[in-house]
Amino acid sequence: MGTVAPDHILKELVDLWVTTGKEAEGGQGVLRACSLTLVAMAEESDDPMALGETLAALMPEHPARTISIRLSGAAARTLTERVYAQCWMPFGQRRQICCEQVEITASDAALEDLPSVVLPLEVPDLPVVLWCRSVRLAAMPEFDALAQLAQKVVVDTAPIADSRAALELVASLAARGIWAADLSWTRTTRWRETLAGIFENHSYLDGLARTTKVRVASKREQPTVRSWYLAAWVMDALAKVGARPRLEMTRSEHTGVTLEGEDWSVALERWGARLVTTINGLAQCTSLPAPSDYDLMREELGILRRDPIFENTLSSALKLVHAED
Amino acid sequence: MLVAMPIENPFQDPLRFERRVPECTVVIFGANGDLTKRKLIPALYRLAYDRRLAAGFAVIGTSRTALSDDQFRDKMLEAVKQFSEDTEFDEDVWKAFAAGLYYVAGDIDDAAFYEKLAAKLKQVDGERATGGNALFYLSTQPSQYGRAAQGIGGAGMNQGSGWRRLVVEKPFGRNLETARALSGELHQVFQESEVYRIDHYLGKETVQNILAFRFGNGIFEPLWSRNHVDHVQITAAESIGVEGRGAYYQEAGALADMIQNHLIQVMATIAMEPSASFRADSVRDERSKLLRSIKPMTPDEIRRDTAPGQYGPASIGGQPVPGFREEPGVDKESGTDTYAAVTFFCETWRWAGVPFYLRTGKRLPKRVTEIAIQFKPAPLAMFDGDAPATAPNLLIVRIQPEEGISLKFLSKQPGAGMRLRPVSMDFNYGSSFGERSPSAYETLLLDAIVGDATLYTRQDMVEASWRVVEPIENVWRETKHDFPNYPAGSWGPAAADRMLARRGHTWRKP
Repeated sequence: MGTVAPDHILKELVDLWVTTGKEAEGGQGVLRACSLTLVAMAEESDDPMALGETLAALMPEHPARTISIRLSGAAARTLTERVYAQCWMPFGQRRQICCEQVEITASDAALEDLPSVVLPLEVPDLPVVLWCRSVRLAAMPEFDALAQLAQKVVVDTAPIADSRAALELVASLAARGIWAADLSWTRTTRWRETLAGIFENHSYLDGLARTTKVRVASKREQPTVRSWYLAAWVMDALAKVGARPRLEMTRSEHTGVTLEGEDWSVALERWGARLVTTINGLAQCTSLPAPSDYDLMREELGILRRDPIFENTLSSALKLVHAED
Repeated sequence: MLVAMPIENPFQDPLRFERRVPECTVVIFGANGDLTKRKLIPALYRLAYDRRLAAGFAVIGTSRTALSDDQFRDKMLEAVKQFSEDTEFDEDVWKAFAAGLYYVAGDIDDAAFYEKLAAKLKQVDGERATGGNALFYLSTQPSQYGRAAQGIGGAGMNQGSGWRRLVVEKPFGRNLETARALSGELHQVFQESEVYRIDHYLGKETVQNILAFRFGNGIFEPLWSRNHVDHVQITAAESIGVEGRGAYYQEAGALADMIQNHLIQVMATIAMEPSASFRADSVRDERSKLLRSIKPMTPDEIRRDTAPGQYGPASIGGQPVPGFREEPGVDKESGTDTYAAVTFFCETWRWAGVPFYLRTGKRLPKRVTEIAIQFKPAPLAMFDGDAPATAPNLLIVRIQPEEGISLKFLSKQPGAGMRLRPVSMDFNYGSSFGERSPSAYETLLLDAIVGDATLYTRQDMVEASWRVVEPIENVWRETKHDFPNYPAGSWGPAAADRMLARRGHTWRKP
């Protein structure tokens, strides 16, 4: 049975800095950068190269001690680890910046051993974020103990076809007092921001209370979690101004959201990597590439506190889904 | 049934969204000029690319050159392609942006031009739903600012259904008297709160970061006073010469071009008292108070505590470099300062007796802008004499090219004995925050559209800076200088070194 000793990993981390400093060109040493502990959990089948690239891309903006845990799924109770540094040379500078990376491989059976390994590896006085890339893991009972170590747990419900089950998974995390984040919600940010920007114009804002119809379109047969979030958020916002519009969840060639009043309409539609905003027939096009995991996590790592708008929207989205059923 | 009218936009999510940006029309005077092509339109295009502008956004360019809307769009397309340094060109984003570009030709002194402009503004408001908001940007000769403002007011464009604001570029006058006269002309049409005097230095991320560094952290404040700070050096060095701007530069000089505005504002940001809030007027009040506390110098003090310079010819890396007087468009006998070093003192309890050394120059060894705060030495030298007296504790705020903050302190050298050596603890803005920093013009244009004047200069600040700079200019003008007094590629005239040596200090070599 393979095991790992946190003390050994910590010693390896110390040695790593000595070695990395000696190896640095020009005798300049390296700079260690760290603003949080990021625990990334992934299935063995998850592309390690892609995950590694995402984590590396996140480091310059959110330098972290990264504990990357890969679940092998094997039956035997095994844990293995390796420690290395992720370094980069900022443009035009003379010294490398480095972040610590700890990679742990664990079988499903060893999942319950992980909290005792992760806890001593957390960087003192800095926040801990757990990014769980596997919905299977998030649903496992052992996951709870790991989640409790973190200030914030990030999941991605996009792969879950059943929107109700997906929303209930996130709600169950929140119900256990965990600051939960869902990348399906993060994917709505640019849409929501554009919509909010439109209603900065008071002539449109004044008409908002008379919204009669809201339409949220997705490309799939069944509305996605993202569309439910968007719909719930729009309906919540409209309720604040006294509007009670009819909500239509539709299937369309282009994902989008439309708000209609008696004499006005606002539509946002994604056309490839563009977002087309049409206000009373006047169209405007801006760039809206599909966000990568890096974009989404970059946003989430920037929010290390409760997100009341998300929490309310999650609750409203569940109500909408239940009402649909 | 009563329907509640919305007061606030219910869609806002301050935790995740960028700032709220209202729709508006930006009217650029001098739209055929270099600033519009190099800075303004590329910055606005970048904001559009980043979805930072409202859907109802438009630009009306104006200048004397006769152009149609389409010809103006074509010219701006060229500008965006040529001058957007780190922005991918996106055909669709451009098309949508260009649809909001309009043009009106006319002479700034012609009343009929303003009538045409007012009609266009109304038309654009109708077509683009700009909410009646308009930002007038004067990118013209400074001598035309007053007349342009009067023309705007004469055609009634200073008022409308939305807000109206006026952005003016430096110089804000050539001395205290002309600064006041200009302000008087602007105030006949716009209130002070509607006038945005742009200083692009204050739009730089690191300059803004000074505020975050000082007032977002508790550990530096106790050190930030005459009790611990020995002196402060603010350097803005350029390795290039006047680059074809000889005729303009000859009229301005380094003191008026850099110190009177940029560097003195940076100094105010470093030395100001904490403001009660981060609201624009609160921050500007403190900056203004600091500027007013700078002690104006007597002629004798000016001769002792300032140093003008002008570069002469030299060979840099085997390449011959002309002196300032050999530059195209420059008078062979020119007495213009291409280098200026000044010692300022603030008459406040916090800073009494602490010299603030400001220097700027062209054709210095490298392009660098930084602030170095040198702390007083430890009160007792308990280690051997090895601790170099030349290695004081320094806090260095680098503005360009490598934005960041470094703290230099002494550390024990590994091994037997107690030998100390200076080490540096660095924070690199670019590496700690990998995100692209917006250009100063993106920041400042967006601020003006949003109505945030924090980084803009107020009239009382302009007057306060002229009050201390004008006496220096007057003495320099009356003095026969032995120019050129520093070779291109060096760190400036010997007089600047003597200026510091008088107080036992030396310039850092950044």
